[in-house]
Amino acid sequence: MIEITTPEVSWIAILPELVLALGAVGVLLVEVQWKPATRVLGAISAITLVIAIFFTFLQWAQAGDALEVGGLDELVAFSGMIVMDGFAVFGRFVLLVMAGLGLLAGWRLVERLNRRGAEAIALVLLATTGFSIMVASNNLVMMFLGLEIGSISLYILAGLTEEKTKADEAAMKYFLLGSFASAIFIYGVALLYAGTGQLEILAIRQFFTEFIVTRPAVILIGLALIIVGLGFKVSAAPFHSWAPDVYQGAPSGVVGYMAAMAKIAGFLAMARILLTAVPQLDDSWLPVIAGISALSMLVGSTIALVQSDVRRLLAYSGVAHAGFILTGIVGGATTGMLFYVTVYAIQLIGAFAVVAVVSGPSSSGSSIDEYRGLARRSPALGAAFAVLLLGMAGLPLTSGFVAKFGVFSEAWANGYGWLVIVALLASVISFAFYLRVIVAMYMDETEEEGIVVSLAARWVLTIAVAGTVLAGILPAPLIDLAADAFSL
Amino acid sequence: MIEVIWLIIALPLLGAVFLHFFGRYIKEPWSGWLASGAIASSFVVALVAAIPFFQGGEHGSTVLLWEWMPAIGANLEMLWDPLAAFMAMVVTGVGALIHVFAIGYMRGDERFSRFFTYLNLFAASMLTLVLAGNYAMLFLGWELVGLCSYLLIGFWFVRPSAASAAKKAFIVNRIGDFGFLIALMLIFAAFGTLSYAGVFERAGAELTTGMATAIALLLFAGAVGKSAQIPLYVWLPDAMEGPAPVSALIHAATMVTAGIYLIARSAAIFELSPAAQTIVATVGALTALWAATIAISQRDIKKVLAYSTISQLGYMVLAVGTTAYFAGLFHLMTHAFFKALLFLGAGSVIHAMNGEQDMAKMGGLFKKMRVTGITMGIATLAIAGIPPLGGFWSKDEILASVFERGGWFSVLWVIGLVTALITGFYMTRLFMLIFLGKPRWDGGVDPHESPRVMTVPLIVLAVLSTIGGLTNTPIRLTLESFLEPSFELISVGQPPENVLILVVVSLLSVLAGAAGILAAWLTYRRPPQDWQRLEEGLQPIWGIWEDAYGVDDIYGRVLVAPGKRAADATAFGFDVPIIDGAVNGVARLVRDFGAWVRPLQTGYVRNYGALFLGGAVVVVIWLVVAGV
Repeated sequence: MIEITTPEVSWIAILPELVLALGAVGVLLVEVQWKPATRVLGAISAITLVIAIFFTFLQWAQAGDALEVGGLDELVAFSGMIVMDGFAVFGRFVLLVMAGLGLLAGWRLVERLNRRGAEAIALVLLATTGFSIMVASNNLVMMFLGLEIGSISLYILAGLTEEKTKADEAAMKYFLLGSFASAIFIYGVALLYAGTGQLEILAIRQFFTEFIVTRPAVILIGLALIIVGLGFKVSAAPFHSWAPDVYQGAPSGVVGYMAAMAKIAGFLAMARILLTAVPQLDDSWLPVIAGISALSMLVGSTIALVQSDVRRLLAYSGVAHAGFILTGIVGGATTGMLFYVTVYAIQLIGAFAVVAVVSGPSSSGSSIDEYRGLARRSPALGAAFAVLLLGMAGLPLTSGFVAKFGVFSEAWANGYGWLVIVALLASVISFAFYLRVIVAMYMDETEEEGIVVSLAARWVLTIAVAGTVLAGILPAPLIDLAADAFSL
Repeated sequence: MIEVIWLIIALPLLGAVFLHFFGRYIKEPWSGWLASGAIASSFVVALVAAIPFFQGGEHGSTVLLWEWMPAIGANLEMLWDPLAAFMAMVVTGVGALIHVFAIGYMRGDERFSRFFTYLNLFAASMLTLVLAGNYAMLFLGWELVGLCSYLLIGFWFVRPSAASAAKKAFIVNRIGDFGFLIALMLIFAAFGTLSYAGVFERAGAELTTGMATAIALLLFAGAVGKSAQIPLYVWLPDAMEGPAPVSALIHAATMVTAGIYLIARSAAIFELSPAAQTIVATVGALTALWAATIAISQRDIKKVLAYSTISQLGYMVLAVGTTAYFAGLFHLMTHAFFKALLFLGAGSVIHAMNGEQDMAKMGGLFKKMRVTGITMGIATLAIAGIPPLGGFWSKDEILASVFERGGWFSVLWVIGLVTALITGFYMTRLFMLIFLGKPRWDGGVDPHESPRVMTVPLIVLAVLSTIGGLTNTPIRLTLESFLEPSFELISVGQPPENVLILVVVSLLSVLAGAAGILAAWLTYRRPPQDWQRLEEGLQPIWGIWEDAYGVDDIYGRVLVAPGKRAADATAFGFDVPIIDGAVNGVARLVRDFGAWVRPLQTGYVRNYGALFLGGAVVVVIWLVVAGV
């Protein structure tokens, strides 16, 4: 008689993802069976997110306990596939909050889609599941799976409108180029495996502490391809060319969510690989990341200057922000980066919520002319957009300033003074294009009437503006949280 | 109680915010009462929170409200120590009385609520300044009071003179603030933090004398602007364009004393630089004399008081330059009482005279306005330094401390003594021209005593001016023992220990004041033709004084006009061709760059794929070349 011992499964490590997946399936089943009002589906997704967030609190407490009483190994679950360190839990929490905000911001789109609204909700939940797995994975293949679950959901979301519009084109482009990037990423993983014989991130680190690699070319090519693949997801230059077209073409209700999710997960994965798996190789990758960072900041902020479409402007500003966030990785620390990613994600969702209100939730394109005199038409909406844009620009007393200060000082401390100078230059340039929109809103006249802002959008904007101002005036709690959320 | 000291700032701030949004819905006197209530409550909080200090020996502590930028020590933190408590009580106490007075003074003004919004905002800013726990927050308050001063000087902005006076005050202060800002950068460079706790503890050990002198003098540059010293005092006389309560609150009792507070607060830095101290004291003494002489011949009631304020601020700067911090702060308090009283009294007179400010057209008002007359009389004696009124004790302590320092300071003491004489003269002249003699009013003016809401603050201030000096007499040094813990590590200049010397020195300053009063009395009790002839007989010096030494003219010719020419030159000779050229050039470059990369942004996936691949190849090669 052979005794089969089932391995002990630490379910808590994947509880948020389980809840999310169940929620997504539940939404679809309920839709098929009862065809309820969209409100009901919204309630289901809200409950799902709240339960998932609750589980992240449990995980946070457990990670904290493990830190205090030892037993860090227990945080690695599912035979080394998943980690439950503070870094993963922080990332999950932020992703879940952004999913909630994203759903609220896109609620008008969900309503307009009628019966297909359930698909949109399910896709948002599934994308969150995927990216959540991605930030929590300790295994590069697992990470790839999470990336694909998340990305494929986003490709579909990018084309999800009630009418045939440019959204189809955007979705197709995003899909083709995204697949290309995913292929490059997994090829990089394969080469890294070829060079080290390991797929687990902690094992790769172990490998480099034990061995000195005399001919690291294969490993370095693998690492380069991984950087390229993730660089695409976070729209860093020169892998950003999809972003303006997709941001412009996809329905505005989901763009903020799409961009925020891909950025959060992409940066966290990149930080985990570079800073946890291969910190020993930083002589090689630091200059490259610094180069990508500088290029992104300069390309993003200069091209944003000449954009006449607010969404393309935000896309290029996103390229610049990718560069700013990369300075945090160049700084070799994750605190500043986590803070930056969080506050930027909120600003991004808030900004696209404004776009969705001004141009309609399923629109493609959003010319700056539509914003002329917005502050007269709808003072609150204009003020909210102005605060969010100033937050992105990094005006003191907004979260953007604290975020920039954090990552820049980390890079400075790590000896990358030139990068900080480039970053400051890019910040100055970026003020010009953010202010262009604000000037258009406040200085120009308009005959148009006021805009009705839906309740959901009001909530999103209130939260985004409050978050931007609060984290600018009182950043310490979030900074402390980010500082506690280090990777194993 | 210390946990809630943020209320001291928050209450007037809330008042300002509330009035800003809802002021227009509140009927006229009530918005004034609301604002007064806000600042009065803040006084009560300050008083209760200061109880431990009254018992003496308590050092106070820093209250961290929240961290903003801990890395550079720029947090929202408040230092609640005796010095801060003292300033907070002066600001809120005198401020509350002036708020109440303004309810009567501003009656009928279209922007009544707006006026109190600004007054409350000013109070909150001033309290931020004095309660700050680091230089960054102090600077925040410093700039905010400047803004409020701008808004309130220009409150009646339809008058072009008010609008330009507001601008002048703002711009002149900018010069001083520039120095202040550089001082902050030097402090940060030297200590790596802007927090008081970090700076003062380490100043003695880590600052070289040269660095200390540089920081001290640059801080003093800020003080020179804010506290209207030579050469930046020119904004204060013009600032009298604001309503009288504004002059009383901002330009006599509180904001202008911020410079004295700054020096007292930074005593640990000034202590390291005797050279800076001497310069501070000298500037103070010269300002005191300079402004006093100008005050002699002014005919506008508020201009006399403005120059008198500059002169008295000179005394305070002289005191803190002599390290006689207790004396300087003591004079700051008594001056706040009697000068606020004088400005409010002047407001009452102007109110009664339908806006007339020329003293030559007043006279004989005492019979019509008893309360104003008596209270202003008390203030006049107080500022002239007649015992036992407030000004006597504080001015005397300053002069005695300066005398005790000896050396070059003996010269400054003589200057101070002469100034005391002149002060007695011009204040008595002011009082007699307004209240005594025969009426010289224009037709149609019917002077009357002001309403209760205005006279009650006058009476309270008169009482304070009378007994305020008793808080710190050589017999009983209450104020000094109150402030002592804040200056524990500082060597503070004191009056002579020897009783005989002290009495002689005091007697001299009283005699000087009395001589001034007597001279003015003898001159101005005669009919107008007589003293007018005398004033004309003193030409050209009288004219020069009346013209304030023509400093405004000189500045206009030497600084402003070349400044404008330079601005023109830079605008059209440098800015347009070079800067704009560069900007346009960059814009063209960016556009060309955009045009150059636009073919890349074709919208075709195959092109994007190719670009992507190209980037990937570069990254791979770079990483491998860098790594191998």
